[in-house]
Amino acid sequence: MRSHRRALFAYSLGVIALIIALWYGRTRTAPDLAVPIAEIFPQATAFRFERGVFHVYDDRESLLGWAGSGSESGYGGPMLLVVGIDTLGRVAGSRVVEQRETPIFWRMVKARDFLTSFVGDHFDQINYDYGAVVGLTGATISATAIGASVRSAVADLASEAFDVTVPVPARPFEFGLLEITVLLLFIVGAVTQRARGPVRRRVRWACQITGLLVLGFWRDSPITLAKITALLSGYFPDPRTQVALYLLIAGFVLTSFHCSRNLYCLYACPFGTAQRCVGVIGGKGLKLPIWFVRWMERIRNVAVFAAMFMAFLTLKPVLASYEPFAVLFSLNGTTLQWLLLFIVLVMSLGISTPWCNLFCPMRTIELLFQNLRRTLRGPRTASANE
Amino acid sequence: MQIFNSGLFWFVEGVLCCVTLLGLKAWAQDRSIPTPWWKWVVLVLWVSLAGFTIAFVGTSFGEGESTAAIRGGMLFGILAVLSGVGAWRLWMIGAGSSNQVTDAKP
Repeated sequence: MRSHRRALFAYSLGVIALIIALWYGRTRTAPDLAVPIAEIFPQATAFRFERGVFHVYDDRESLLGWAGSGSESGYGGPMLLVVGIDTLGRVAGSRVVEQRETPIFWRMVKARDFLTSFVGDHFDQINYDYGAVVGLTGATISATAIGASVRSAVADLASEAFDVTVPVPARPFEFGLLEITVLLLFIVGAVTQRARGPVRRRVRWACQITGLLVLGFWRDSPITLAKITALLSGYFPDPRTQVALYLLIAGFVLTSFHCSRNLYCLYACPFGTAQRCVGVIGGKGLKLPIWFVRWMERIRNVAVFAAMFMAFLTLKPVLASYEPFAVLFSLNGTTLQWLLLFIVLVMSLGISTPWCNLFCPMRTIELLFQNLRRTLRGPRTASANE
Repeated sequence: MQIFNSGLFWFVEGVLCCVTLLGLKAWAQDRSIPTPWWKWVVLVLWVSLAGFTIAFVGTSFGEGESTAAIRGGMLFGILAVLSGVGAWRLWMIGAGSSNQVTDAKP
């Protein structure tokens, strides 16, 4: 009981510190748009801001064009782009003013030359080819957000400068194979979690392999600390296109509160399944000493706190992402993440799911929920349920 | 590296390869581990993968592509280690039952 109170106290302190970091991060000043506009129009010497659009002038006070901004939520949070069009309605250039994506993603976007591909095009002939970027990087949310930001900025500019309405296509509600799979995994998990014997084991393996193939290798969409941090920072991806993300997080949170282990980790997590598959090859006969696991748990909690603190302070949720999931499922990641993946998979040969037990940030969040549940329901009820 | 182009290097390499394979066969016979043809195929495939991994890392470093060397080394290294453990478990199939029979003899 005393250790439970101590843990709750430590968690409370951590949460308060994170709230302060988030508050500090949110009070920072808005980005200055003058610099990117001056880069798009090198002859510009004066701007006038009217009805949401910058009117750009040269030193003889003749109009060079207009500039406007567009914003859309990417993987790590909203990104802000500035687009300029000249007096003939052609795109003069575009600049990314604010973004919270990974450096790897931007390297790939620059390599693809997407942001400069429509320079010189008339505003009603722009090809917002999201697919070109999406196909290359596999980062659907962020790549789509770039195109949508540009479209939003161009629509404002065309409306203000040329009195033309650029149609912004309505986004359909996406509910496909991914979303159905997520729902089915949670339903099957909830139905079979109290079952015993080989049937439960087989069903669990079937669910895990489905999760590995669909959530892992096909869509690379496991829950990450960056996604949780983005939501806590107030960056909510479009629910029409990110139904699976909301389903996964809702399933994780609800089952963390309601069950002794959350169903996402048991039935859906693709990285957990990858470790289990490697464990089958290796035999996983080794057991870690309890003192080592306890120390690693403390180190992991501190690491998760530090990662979230930095992410909140800088309002860049991707800073919190240290998981090597993307390395395994789409071969994207830093050298350190590659090294981490190597270590984890080699450890999985001898130890049962080392990432889940030693490093996974979701375990820290799950423990936080369990502590909270124990406090709300009382220790007797919680232990009776378990 | 001039030595890799010399005939002596490849001669020594061939000799070492033969000695290793003969040693492995003798080692397996000493422990009564059955060695059907498919175990040798698994061994050859794994040695090829491990050799490719080393060659990839060495060549990439040699070409000044250190990032490719590190990432490729990690990727193929993971595959080589995992498949190495799998190959070892396959190679040891039949070892336990043979030992039990041997131990049971007076």
